[in-house]
Amino acid sequence: MEEKVLAILNDICGADEGELEMDLELFDEGILDSFGVISLFVEIEKQLGVKFEPTEVERSEISTPAKIIAQVKQRM
Amino acid sequence: MFVLESIKKYAMSDRIALVNREETLSFAELDARSDAFAMYLLESLGEDRTEIVIYGHKETDILPCMYGALKAGRGYVPIDITVPVDRVQQIVDDVQPKVIVDFYGIGLRSDGVILSAETLRDRISCFLGCEVPKENWIKGETPAYILFTSGSTGKPKGVPITAANIENLYSGLLPWMTGEGVILNQISYSFDVSVCSVYVGMAQGMTLYTIDKQMIENLGELFEYLERSGLETWVSTPSFAEICVQSAKFNSGLMPKLKRFLFCGEVLTHKLCDQLAERFPEAKVINTYGPTEATVLVTAVEITEKLRHDELQIPIGYPLDEVTFRIVDGEGRDVSPGEQGELLIISKNVGPGYYKRPDLTEKVFFKDRETGKRGYHTGDSCFEKDGLYYYCGRMDNQIKVNGFRVEVEDIENNLVKVDNIARAAVVPVSDGEKVQYLAAFVLLEKADGLSSLKRSMLIKERAAEFLPSYMIPRRITAVEAFPLNTNGKVDKKELAKLIK
Repeated sequence: MEEKVLAILNDICGADEGELEMDLELFDEGILDSFGVISLFVEIEKQLGVKFEPTEVERSEISTPAKIIAQVKQRM
Repeated sequence: MFVLESIKKYAMSDRIALVNREETLSFAELDARSDAFAMYLLESLGEDRTEIVIYGHKETDILPCMYGALKAGRGYVPIDITVPVDRVQQIVDDVQPKVIVDFYGIGLRSDGVILSAETLRDRISCFLGCEVPKENWIKGETPAYILFTSGSTGKPKGVPITAANIENLYSGLLPWMTGEGVILNQISYSFDVSVCSVYVGMAQGMTLYTIDKQMIENLGELFEYLERSGLETWVSTPSFAEICVQSAKFNSGLMPKLKRFLFCGEVLTHKLCDQLAERFPEAKVINTYGPTEATVLVTAVEITEKLRHDELQIPIGYPLDEVTFRIVDGEGRDVSPGEQGELLIISKNVGPGYYKRPDLTEKVFFKDRETGKRGYHTGDSCFEKDGLYYYCGRMDNQIKVNGFRVEVEDIENNLVKVDNIARAAVVPVSDGEKVQYLAAFVLLEKADGLSSLKRSMLIKERAAEFLPSYMIPRRITAVEAFPLNTNGKVDKKELAKLIK
């Protein structure tokens, strides 16, 4: 699952494999924005069958790759 | 002007003109504050009618500034905070305003007066109670606003729209959005779709319900505000609605009073129409189309169930009353019915041309010999079927990204301002119906030893000094060389293949 989430993130952020550090602040660094988040949720649902209700997730809860993975885990 | 008359009329009631988070502004306050600001402009500037510049986002006092300028017989130039300082300065240098209202104190250079949010409040307080005689109000061919849009040279291009243009839009659009209730005020004032709320909605005494940038970044908060909005009329780009439908809560339970969605600014997809029909069975979906140069929109159509299942695509609509269309081929001859060609608009909606650019104006604006009205070459490829018009794409490099109008060359010309970038090529990535995001390919002057993510972060940070955030490509990839086509130009089709 982790690899899949990272692969989705790499794709959205334009990063090479293994390049995203787990504690990288994606919003602060300008890598992810509102439209990117929506693409992220859509892809996670498509590939992992995990659904995010976007109104119930705050930016601070998904601001790094590690946090995103944790949020996916919680919903599995 | 009709909207100023309406504000005066509703000022006699206790009706609310604007809701902005916990703040409200009544029509009476809006009328008084805009009169005060108009009086300040007339007293301090006299006969000088240069447009004023307003830099801000959704601050409550922006509306009194805009209507105040109109009451003082001059236009305004609204600039949203998504525009970086460097680009705002270019616009200021172009317009040479005598008054700038800068809600964020970004340190603009100007020979004119720069008012902060605070000094603006002081000036308004000083003149509160004054009423500007109507003969000072803006009219006819005087520009009411100038919007600066992406220009292919890399410098923003000004589009002035006159008071007469907006009057004409009002009569054309009115049948499609008649009502009094609450209307969405989400689109930034520097983007012309906001005119639907600010002029057509306000003139009917509607209440503008503000959605700001912060709310969009926190959908939980956005939905709390939507829930208590009492919204009846939704005006936005399809992109904003696409963000909202991502939540299962976006349905008639959240906004039970919603009567209509009015979309403008980019392609409306089948998918969104289907989702809205399911979630809001009582609400009408109206699609519209128009370039900024012809005052927001010149078509409209209700997307009925039949049109929703139109296999061609979602139509952009029928021309509004008074609007005439022609579809022409490369030689300017009318095409046979049903054939594709460039759409020409002949209407009183067509503005006077580009700001201080007679060369550009001459290329795409014309006077129609038959009617004496102005005409405009849209650069949009369209066709007509049974009176309905369909959009097929641009004939140049202009694109729409999340509803924003962008010239690809504008991004390329600004990316090369970043250190170590020799050349740049930008490619829109589409899912077939609509642009999803932008990808940039750059040729470096010398190897930088950075990983692609680090490099892309660095370039984005620097590019943000020159480009609004919506113009910064999501993906930036360094290439060793650009593939060239047979004409020796960068082959963007080949570049597009590099994207998975």
